[in-house]
Amino acid sequence: MRNPATSIRDIPAALRHCFTRSFLLRLGPRVLEVGEEKLTSACQLHLAMPSDLDEQIARLKDCQLISEEQVKRLCFKAREILLEEGNVQHIDSPVTICGDIHGQFYDLMELFSVGGFCPDTNYLFMGDFVDRGFFSVETFLLLLALKVRYPERITLIRGNHESRQITQVYGFYDECQRKYGGSNVWRWCCEVFDYLALGAVVDGRVFGVHGGLSPNLHSIDQARALKQEVPHDGPMCDLLWSDPDDIQGWGLSPRGAGYLFGPDITKQFAHNNALDLIARAHQLAMEGYKLMFDRTIVTVWSAPNYCYRCGNVASILELDENLGQEYKVFSAAAIGPMSTPAKRPPADYFL
Amino acid sequence: MTTPQTMDSAVAVPTHKLLESPTSRAIEIFDWIITVSTNPISNAADCDALHAALGFPLPEMTFGSNFLSIEHRPSKWKYDFATLEALRGVKNGELGEGDGGVKVGHADAWLRSRTDPSSSLPMPKTVPTKPYDWTYTTTYSGHPGVWTPHSTTDGDASSEAGSRPASPIDETPPREWSWTPADPSNATHTIPLAELSRPDPILFYAEVPLFEDELHDNGAAHLLVRVRVMPTCLFVLARFTLRVDGVLFRIRDTRMYASFSSGPPMVVREASGWEAPYVRVKGALTRRDDLSPLTDSNFIAKVLTGMPREASQGIGASTGWRGLGTTLEVAVLG
Repeated sequence: MRNPATSIRDIPAALRHCFTRSFLLRLGPRVLEVGEEKLTSACQLHLAMPSDLDEQIARLKDCQLISEEQVKRLCFKAREILLEEGNVQHIDSPVTICGDIHGQFYDLMELFSVGGFCPDTNYLFMGDFVDRGFFSVETFLLLLALKVRYPERITLIRGNHESRQITQVYGFYDECQRKYGGSNVWRWCCEVFDYLALGAVVDGRVFGVHGGLSPNLHSIDQARALKQEVPHDGPMCDLLWSDPDDIQGWGLSPRGAGYLFGPDITKQFAHNNALDLIARAHQLAMEGYKLMFDRTIVTVWSAPNYCYRCGNVASILELDENLGQEYKVFSAAAIGPMSTPAKRPPADYFL
Repeated sequence: MTTPQTMDSAVAVPTHKLLESPTSRAIEIFDWIITVSTNPISNAADCDALHAALGFPLPEMTFGSNFLSIEHRPSKWKYDFATLEALRGVKNGELGEGDGGVKVGHADAWLRSRTDPSSSLPMPKTVPTKPYDWTYTTTYSGHPGVWTPHSTTDGDASSEAGSRPASPIDETPPREWSWTPADPSNATHTIPLAELSRPDPILFYAEVPLFEDELHDNGAAHLLVRVRVMPTCLFVLARFTLRVDGVLFRIRDTRMYASFSSGPPMVVREASGWEAPYVRVKGALTRRDDLSPLTDSNFIAKVLTGMPREASQGIGASTGWRGLGTTLEVAVLG
């Protein structure tokens, strides 16, 4: 996959500031072919925005909204960047892997304080940024702004909530309407969802995906060919929705749609693709993470006190340069007057 | 602590005692003790134990240690609402007549896309998975608890431990009781909405979630127990709400009422079930593009109970679910 045909010294300085070393080395020959002049102008696309973007990031970090016009430009920019990325993103260690966030903005800030802020730490977020929490808009826009500002430092992959259908039911649509007085922001964000990668591979050895495996995808390479709005069938849907279970082989979910997969399937997939670990999100884990099937698969859950009432802890998975795993567990943020609703519901004259 | 309240209300606030610990709260009022315990969702070890006891996958949010308990001291009557027992009411095994089983809205399309001879997505050989009601539908209406003598009975809780001899343990067994159908001609065999609508002070209020599941984003199922203790009565509403996107809505309510002034002491229990096809309830939305009221059980209940009885309690969503309809029962405690 890699082609370190050039030395880092051959790469324009401006580019070196934008991208990681390993990315530029991978890009190597192409950097030389295109020539410094063109690359620098391409690079200015990224560089043109930083001060404005940094301002937006600063606002969003304070849980403040950016203007509708800024959202529009941000989403446009994000689509350009995501379009260049594969359906399965190849990324390098070290990287910190995160599970569902679900609009719990203050808990995302807590996550960053535990794991380090981007770009000091590289991140892989495995989807479900929006819905259910009170701050899906701020949460997604912050992650997106970081993606546009530091494209090589943060990878966002798609969860089953990054879909038009689901967000209309579980809160994101409603929140956009409330906060922006219309559905434009929701529409632009949904367009970005369609460009999100479905999976990521760290150093070729750790596969990150939102849900799980699909019987129609035997290799990670096959997954690259997929890209579409989340349909209710097809392997793309499996990657976003399937769950590991204590069965042998593949099972049909009792709900009537969707697959369950057992340890044998998981180990076979890991073996065929030379993987050490499959990291996925999608299912709540009281302890913040759950290793299964002789540590071939792990569920990482990053929304503490889920829905502001479950009382669970959350975790992030730090992979070091040697892909050593460290799970960092954290609790819900204490800050923010609106970060959690009143502990006790107000008395109600229910009938 | 005793909290006599001086509020401008139609009724006098009776003496009562509120007790509180980090995970539980209770009120002692007249002959009654009402206790609630609210905790985080069960941890992995507790989930494994519950799973072993029930034999099917647990709801995503299982509040295994939560409960509501109502006790009537003179008759040693105890009645509980708790998670394990509520989940015992969920069908474990193949669903049959009366169970009201459904599949997700896109199940047919999903299966067809994978079993069609020309399908590009051939289905792999699959192994049978555990059949159970993945909607977690339960007609659970609470269950009789096991009476245990209370340490805080009779009198002054603030008295020092050991400052007076412990009262001898009352060995008499709890009184026999049972639920019997309400007598339509008896005015006390009903839940008095007028009394419950009166803005008397709420002396004790709690919401106790027992379980919740998002059905893998195909809808939602939850069971929430609420209780309020008023100067004249106690009132419980345990509500199971189910939404299966594109398929149906279902509600099962259990209401329990006990007046502090009824003689002999008596509990009234009303259990009701409603169902309607998804589109019927969706049609009641005021803003067509905002589906969020469909996640609000109050909205769902309002729509279902506002429909003609023969629709939401008779035909329902044509699932044949046995939980439809209403039964009214009473238990005389002494």
